Amino acid sequence: MKSASRLIVGMFALIAAAPAFAGKHDFPNKPLRMMIAFAAGGSTDIGARIVASIAEKDFKQPIVVVNRGGAGGQVGWTELSRQRADGYSIGFINLPATNTVVLDPERKAIFKIEDFVPIINQVLDPGVVYVRADSPYKTMKDLIEAARKSPNTIRTATTGILSDDHLAILMVEESAPGSAFRIVHLAGGADQQRELLAGNIDVAFDNVGGWTPRVRAKEFRALAVLDPQRSKFLPDVPTMRELGYPKVVSNSTRGIAGPKGIPAPVVKHLETVFKKAMESPEHLEKLEAAGLTVRIMVGEEYAKYYRETHEKARHYTEWAKKRPHR
Amino acid sequence: MEAFQHLLTGFGHALSLEYLAYAFVGCTLGTLVGVLPGLGPAAGTAILIPLTFKLDPTGAIIMLAAIYYGAMYGGTITSVLINVPGEAASVITCIDGHAMAKQGRGGTALGIAAIGSFIGGIVATIALVVVAPPLARLGLLFGPPEFFALMVLGLSLVTGLAGRSLLAALLMTIIGLVLAMIGIDPVRGAPRFTFGVPELYDGVGFIPVVMGLFGISEILLMAESPAREVIKTKLTGLLPSREEWRSSLRAIWRGTGIGFALGLIPGIGSIIPTFMAYIAEKRLSKTPERFGQGAIEGVAAPETANNAYANAALIPFFTLGIPSSPTIAVLMGAFIINGLTPGPFLFQERPDLVWTVIASLFIGNVILLILNLPLVGLWARLLHIPYQYLCTGVLLFCVLGAYSLQQSVFDVWLMIVFGVIGYFFRKLDLPLAPLVLGLILGPFIEKSMRTSLEMSGGDFSIFATRPLCVTLLVAAVVVLAAAALRLVPARVREAESV
Amino acid sequence: MNVRHGLITAGAGLAGLSVMVMAVSVGYGMKDALGPGAGFFSFWLSLIGGLLSVGLLASAWRGTAPGELGASLFPKGDAARRCVAMLAAVVLAALLIEPLGYRLTAAALVAGLLYALEARGHVAIWLFAAAASFGVYHVFMNWLLVPLPGGALGF
Repeated sequence: MKSASRLIVGMFALIAAAPAFAGKHDFPNKPLRMMIAFAAGGSTDIGARIVASIAEKDFKQPIVVVNRGGAGGQVGWTELSRQRADGYSIGFINLPATNTVVLDPERKAIFKIEDFVPIINQVLDPGVVYVRADSPYKTMKDLIEAARKSPNTIRTATTGILSDDHLAILMVEESAPGSAFRIVHLAGGADQQRELLAGNIDVAFDNVGGWTPRVRAKEFRALAVLDPQRSKFLPDVPTMRELGYPKVVSNSTRGIAGPKGIPAPVVKHLETVFKKAMESPEHLEKLEAAGLTVRIMVGEEYAKYYRETHEKARHYTEWAKKRPHR
Repeated sequence: MEAFQHLLTGFGHALSLEYLAYAFVGCTLGTLVGVLPGLGPAAGTAILIPLTFKLDPTGAIIMLAAIYYGAMYGGTITSVLINVPGEAASVITCIDGHAMAKQGRGGTALGIAAIGSFIGGIVATIALVVVAPPLARLGLLFGPPEFFALMVLGLSLVTGLAGRSLLAALLMTIIGLVLAMIGIDPVRGAPRFTFGVPELYDGVGFIPVVMGLFGISEILLMAESPAREVIKTKLTGLLPSREEWRSSLRAIWRGTGIGFALGLIPGIGSIIPTFMAYIAEKRLSKTPERFGQGAIEGVAAPETANNAYANAALIPFFTLGIPSSPTIAVLMGAFIINGLTPGPFLFQERPDLVWTVIASLFIGNVILLILNLPLVGLWARLLHIPYQYLCTGVLLFCVLGAYSLQQSVFDVWLMIVFGVIGYFFRKLDLPLAPLVLGLILGPFIEKSMRTSLEMSGGDFSIFATRPLCVTLLVAAVVVLAAAALRLVPARVREAESV
Repeated sequence: MNVRHGLITAGAGLAGLSVMVMAVSVGYGMKDALGPGAGFFSFWLSLIGGLLSVGLLASAWRGTAPGELGASLFPKGDAARRCVAMLAAVVLAALLIEPLGYRLTAAALVAGLLYALEARGHVAIWLFAAAASFGVYHVFMNWLLVPLPGGALGF
């Protein structure tokens, strides 16, 4: 290389290196990276982008949302577990999906549940049982009766192998002995809606988010909500507890977590800013419009929920693996 | 008719300066997004969602929709000029499109692509207006068993892609199918053939593989023999000859039909219509040998099918609320963030919004044509820069593209590996298109078979008792038998001449 | 080494690969309660693929494979140098883009490659390199909102 070119490169290097000498100030002093383990446009993604756009203002730094979807979230969570624990790389975890990835030995997850530090939970989307509006099953009782009378014939859809819906079906079978469903694994709520409309499946287990307007439009009927209390989006739908199955509680939570080892003051700062963002009227309004139920859990409350969900998932995951027609 | 009344009102709104501006910006951004391979319509639309927070819902959706089908055209530009598919659907355009570019006819290729895209898009949008709800229900006839049968039919058509060696084409298809099996399997939900590499859990990334096979191999070949690869002839007329017009128009009509029909089937993806349109055109042509060497129909058909598909795929989305592709899923996300839920409900609740958006679909297609046709000459001139700059530029382009998909160096490595593989395969005259077809169809075939069996509880007769499924499977058998029969006389002739 | 040799090698290589895939597939299970197991399709596909590869090998051996069998497979002399330069550039890009950051890597490699390919004009080369590195970085970071690596030196 000619000396002139060398000089130019050297000058470039010096100029560009200058900011590095500017000195560090408090967290955050550069953009944050928020990883979503699912494709853009999905409900986790929507909720995440909304909260990110609000929290950015308080952080005074942009939050870059990155979608790293695939393998039911495993790709994104693997990536998250490998990030530097400095607080700049955070991501969304979905319980119990994250739990089942860890618990299923065949998944060969390289992360354990302790590899994440839970920061704050955003959404708790209760499980719901849906049928097409003209279905012969008018109530949950009808469905369970039918599942007892003709076991393994009612085509019941989940949103994926070992998803929260999959575990929910097993919970129902456990609480109503003798009942058995023919489980069909689809790729998501949109898939379920299509196959339900087409008549290729009879029942869909999913969550509240994404269905409410179509239930109101009388395209689908919700038979039961799998939560201790009724959903404000589906006020006329009874809960499993009311129907006599208090143990059937299933939901999908979306919360922010980081790789383990983030210093405690940084975690505290993240918690504070995100909590404020999530409690803001803009956030509540937008999430409600999207049909997502906000349930903020932070600190010890979230950590406890995190551990409990893991244990509960362990039981059903093991059963699912042993069940012949998974 | 009520629909037309609504449509006229929609046009009234859509032609406002504000919405026109959004459509224009969307088309431009979309084309840009399509040109940069790493972005692709899904990622590009996702990046731009935050922008739309600041706009009113209708404006936001108009812009996003414009980005969506604008991106379809952007991908064509790079496919034709530098053999790098800008996004998945442009893969097959590379074959004849780039061949034409090397003959100095890149401008013509881009021009016919723009015109075909326009016609395909407009026809599909008209159909959206006229027949949307009843036709949408037709799409529901395609359940998992029908999907399986359709994919098998798609695979059988690879016999139409085969050049001089059917054996090579079949082998490459199988390589593609097996490659597609890397990742989480639909049976146990556990990783398969990943050998402990977490980046492979979701399978080999399609875009890096295709960029490597086509793009990197191209620049390696170009570096090797620049004199041969670079265009020798001057930029002759941009317009196709009369003969070419006629055959292109036929290809365009057929492409529109195929793209539209497949767009009604939710979830089929944009690549399949382009492949099918290309193969159909090749089969129906009286001179199929021209395909692969720069046949203009080889560009017209897939490009038209592409846009017809993109616009038609909005039908199940608008009428049934079912997104057909990741990009439309992003569009759906935008709807939801703005508090709207697509589906029949939306047609009743907010007809003003829906019809304004539909009107802007028409306008967007026109804008695309106006934007792109004049620039065609400019784009084509790009190929005349000294080959060193071209090679280096394309290399950087590919690295950027592969990296920015997921900010992952692994994707760059994947691209490099497949680049070298592609280079040697091309030297060995092993066709790449069947490999890509296998790679795309593989996951669909296995997953839809599995889901069908879950639905039937393990009963294989589900494939034999559903009429549409049976029809498609029979069609596949017929195609394969026809291909096999054509081989027999050749063998006999060969044996006799020995 | 010519194309014929190349086809024979490819055929043999693919055949070997097929056998390995078949072996791994059996481990994934051929049957499942509902039908084909996780290894079913990959087993049969690689079996057919293996047979086809052997067929390819045979047709190359006998000289009946289509294409210019006598043509040289690897580039020679100047052509080889250029190809190696391209390959080296892209490999270095993959290695350096994250540690060194996009801008430095792109600037160095673009300039280096242009020199290796014997492009003319130092000014043109460095201008192009600057645009390709710093210019592109600016566009991606600020207009497209797509992050590119900053690198250990802070840029």
